[in-house]
Amino acid sequence: MSIMERPVFVDDKLREVRQSGRLEYRSRSLPTWCPGCGYFSIVEGVTYACNEMGIAKEQAVVVSGIGCSSRFPFFVDLFGFHTLHGRVLPVATGVKTANDKLTVIAVGGDGDGFAIGGGHISHAAKRNVDITYLLFDNGIYGLTKGQTSPLSAVGLRTSTSPFDNPEQPLNPLMMVLAYGASWVGQAYAGRPDHLREMITKAIAHRGFSYLHILSPCVTFDKTSKTYVNLGLRVRELPSGHDATDLMAALRQARDQESLAIGLYYQESRPTLNATFEQLVAKAGGGR
Amino acid sequence: MKATDIQIALCGSAGDGTIAAGDILRNAVARAGYRVISFDVYPPEIRGFGKCISRVRITTEQSYALKRQSDVFVSLDDSHAIPHVGEVRPDGAVIFESQPVATVAEGHHISGHIHPGHIPYGIPLRELSEKSTGGGRSRNLVVLGYIAGLLGLAAEHFLSIIEKKFTKQGSEVVSRNQAGFHAGFQAGAATFKLDNVFFTPLGAPHGSEQVVMLSGNAAVAQGCMDAHLDTFFGYPITPATSIMERLAVALPKRGARLLQTEDEISAMAASIGAGFAGARAATATSGPGLALMSEMIGLATMAEVPCVVFVSQRGGPSTGMPTKTEQSDLNAALYGSPGDSQHIVIAPTNVEGCYRCAGKAFEMAERYQTPVIVLLDLYLSNRYETVTLAVSGPPFNLNANKPRPRLEAGEVYKRYALTDDGISPRAIPGDAGCMHVITGLEHNELGRPSDQEEMHAAMSRKRHDKLLGALQHPDFTVSKRFGDPGRVKVGLLSWGSTFGECLEAMFMAQAEGIPCAAMKVVMLAPFPVQPVADFMADCDVVLVPECNYEGQFAHLVQGILAKPVVRLSRVPGSPMPVEAILGEVRRLARGAVTAIAS
Ligand SMILES: Cc1ncc(C[n+]2csc(CCOP(=O)(O)OP(=O)(O)O)c2C)c(N)n1
Ligand code: SF4
Ligand SMILES: [Mg+2]
Repeated sequence: MSIMERPVFVDDKLREVRQSGRLEYRSRSLPTWCPGCGYFSIVEGVTYACNEMGIAKEQAVVVSGIGCSSRFPFFVDLFGFHTLHGRVLPVATGVKTANDKLTVIAVGGDGDGFAIGGGHISHAAKRNVDITYLLFDNGIYGLTKGQTSPLSAVGLRTSTSPFDNPEQPLNPLMMVLAYGASWVGQAYAGRPDHLREMITKAIAHRGFSYLHILSPCVTFDKTSKTYVNLGLRVRELPSGHDATDLMAALRQARDQESLAIGLYYQESRPTLNATFEQLVAKAGGGR
Repeated sequence: MKATDIQIALCGSAGDGTIAAGDILRNAVARAGYRVISFDVYPPEIRGFGKCISRVRITTEQSYALKRQSDVFVSLDDSHAIPHVGEVRPDGAVIFESQPVATVAEGHHISGHIHPGHIPYGIPLRELSEKSTGGGRSRNLVVLGYIAGLLGLAAEHFLSIIEKKFTKQGSEVVSRNQAGFHAGFQAGAATFKLDNVFFTPLGAPHGSEQVVMLSGNAAVAQGCMDAHLDTFFGYPITPATSIMERLAVALPKRGARLLQTEDEISAMAASIGAGFAGARAATATSGPGLALMSEMIGLATMAEVPCVVFVSQRGGPSTGMPTKTEQSDLNAALYGSPGDSQHIVIAPTNVEGCYRCAGKAFEMAERYQTPVIVLLDLYLSNRYETVTLAVSGPPFNLNANKPRPRLEAGEVYKRYALTDDGISPRAIPGDAGCMHVITGLEHNELGRPSDQEEMHAAMSRKRHDKLLGALQHPDFTVSKRFGDPGRVKVGLLSWGSTFGECLEAMFMAQAEGIPCAAMKVVMLAPFPVQPVADFMADCDVVLVPECNYEGQFAHLVQGILAKPVVRLSRVPGSPMPVEAILGEVRRLARGAVTAIAS
C-alpha cells in the first residue's frame, strides 16, 4: 500500500458495504459524533472485523469509558457497557473473567486511557487479559469541549491551556510496549482500509491487544492532529520490521514526529483466563 | 443443673503464644460441644512486645457478647496483665507465673495487684515447661493444660487440636507442645478446685445440625462459597483481607476465580463487569477502599448490575486506626456515591449473621439487580463464634433472577422495561437476540441515553421501588425484637456488632427488674420503617448505642421516623462496654421523661 491510497467513490463504497453483510452489526442509533470526526471509520472497522471473523452478535461485548469515543457501544449491535471515565479496562477484565467465550472489545479516548485510567493499562497488559483495547487518540478532551489531554502536543492551545500546552505528551506506544502488552499496533482513522485490517488482527490475537488509533477531532483541534497534519506525518512501519523484536518496536515507537502505522509487536503467552485454569488445576479443583 | 457460662481471658506479650493458646482453647471446647464467642486484641505492629489478650466465653447456649468480667484470668506477662486485673470477677481465678526468672521490682508482680476477692493460682509455668519440653517456650501450653485440669475438661480435644495446629511444623513440635500441655494438666488436676466455676455436661447434639467454629470473615467466605460465588476481585486491606485470603484457597478448588486487582476501583469495576456478564461477583474492603469504590457503586445502581461488596469497618476517618473496631462507615455505605444512592445495605450482628448475610446478599443483588453492601466491622470480622449450619446443605437460592419471558418475533429487548415491581427481566451477554447497552447515563427502557424529565423521574422511581421488595426478602431477618413484649421503659435500638452488647445489657437490666426490650436492625437500606416505628412506639425512651462519634445510626432513625432517640455514641476502638450500655439503661429507667427533655 502506498501513502496515497486510491480514490474512493461513494457509490462503490456503499455497494461494497451493503453486499458485505457488515451492516448487520450496526445498531439502530446513528452516531452522534460531529460530521468528519475520525471515529466514524472506527465503527466501520469494527463492524467489518466482526463480519470478517463471523462473530456472533450475542457473543461480543464492547466496553467503554466516558468521552465522545466511549459512546461507541451505542452504535454497534453488540452487547455493550458504557462505564465510567477511565474504568474501561477493569470492567472489561471482569467481563472476560466471568465468561471465556465472549469476545471483549474495550474502547476509549486518550484522556480516558492515559489520564484518569492510566493506572489500569499496565495491569491489563501484565495480566494479558484476552481483550482488545482500541484507544481513540485525538489528543484532546472532546466530550468536555476541548481541554488538554496527556497526549496533547506541546504548544496546543485549549480552553485549559490558554497560553499553550507547555507539557510534553506521553509516548503511549512505548509505555504499552514496556508494560508487556502481547500485541501492539497503530492505525489512523484517515486510512480506513488499513485500520479495519488492523482491528481484525487485534481482535484475532489471543491476549491483550492494544491498537492505538490516531483520529482527528475536527471540532476542537484545528492545528495539531488534523487530517492534513496527520496525513503528512503518518508513515508505514519499515517493510523489514520484525514484530517479534521488542527493541525494534520501541525504536519505531520513539519517533513521535513521523508516526508509523502497522503491527509493532506481537508475542504469544498465556492469557489471564488460561492462568486461572492453571490455578484451578493446581488447586485440584473443577466445576 | 445450671448451664455453663465461663469466660477465660489470657493476657501476654506478643511472642508469648497468647493468641495461639486462646485459639486452641476455643477450638477444643467447641469440639467438646460447647458454644463459644471469642475475641482477640493484639498490637498493630507485626513484631515487638505489644499486649495481646485472648478472651473466650464458653456457654451451653450461644451467647451474644463477651461478659464484662472473666471467671478465669491468665497472665503470661505481668506488665501487660496488671492493668486488666479489674476485669476478673469476685471469686474469679487469677493464674500467673510464681517463679519469675529474675527479681521483680516492687509493684511489678501481679500477686501484688490481685483483689482480695480473687483466688490466686501461682504456678511455676516456666519450670513446668522446661521440665516437660526442655525449653521455656511452651508456657502457653502448660497454662492451657493447667486450666483444663483445674476445670475438669477432657484432655482429648485439646490434644487433637494441638496436633492439628502444629502438624505442619513437624511431629517433634507436636509432641513437645502436647508434653507441655500434659505437665500443666497434671498440675491443674492436682491442685485445689475452683468451686464456683464448672462445666456442666452437655446433652446430645442435634443430628440435623452441624456446629462449626468460625470468625466473622471465615463465615463470610463460607457464605460466599455456599452461595456459589463465581468471581472475586479484591485489594488487601485490614480487617477485610482474610476474606480474600480464604477465598483465594477455596474458589479455585471449586473451579471459580479470584483476582487481586491494582486497587479498589478496579476491584469494584471488575466485580461489576462480571456481574453484568451474569456471574455472581463480589469484592471486600474497609472504609478507605469503600471511598474509592463509591463512583463505581453508583454505576452499578444506575446500570442495575448485581454485585456484592463486603465492608469491614475500622477506626476512621482516613487511614484511621486499622486494627481497631468502629461503626463509622454507615454514612459512607448508605450515601457514599453521587446522586441518589439507591442500593441495599445489610449489617449482620453476629458471626452466624455474617454467614447468612453473605449468602443472602447474592440473592438480593440478583433479584433486585443492585449493588448490595454488607457492613461488618473489625470486631465482627475477627471474633470467633460457634455457628450452626444446616447439614442438609446451604440455605441459599442459587438463581434468584426474575425469569425472562420469551421475546416475540421482531420484539426489541428492553433492558430497563418499566414493570409493576420495578424489576426488569435481565438478559446477559450470550443471550441471542437480546443485545443491549447498559450505561451510567440516565436512559430509557432500551438503555439509550435520555435526560428527559419524565424519563428520569420514572427511572428514579423504578430504582427506588424495586428495592422495597427486599424488606420482604424470603428467609431473611430484616429486623427483630427481643426482650419484654408490649410496653417497656427502655428500648435499645441497635445495628451491627454492638447488638450483642445491647442484648447482654438488656438481659442484665431485665434481671434488675427494668422493663426492657432490644431491636436489631439488619437491613439499613431500604429501611424497615414500620417495624422500627412499632418498636419505638412501645418504648418510653429509645437508646441507640453505636461505636461512632457522630451517632450515624441515630441520625438515620431520627431522620426517617422524626422521633427523638437518646444517643450513646462512643469510639473506644474496642467493642462498646456492656456496663456503659447498662449504666445508660439504668439512668433512663429512673427518669425516662427527663432524658427526652434534656
Ligand atoms: C470522574 C470524571 N471526571 C471527569 C469527567 C468529565 N469528562 C468526561 S469525558 C472527559 C474527557 C474525554 O476525553 P477523552 O477521554 O480523550 O475522550 P474523547 O471525548 O476525546 O473521545 C472528561 C474529563 C467524568 N465524566 N468523570
Ligand atoms: S468533539 Fe471532536 S471527538 Fe467529539 S465527536 Fe466531535 S469531532 Fe469527534
Ligand atoms: Mg480524546
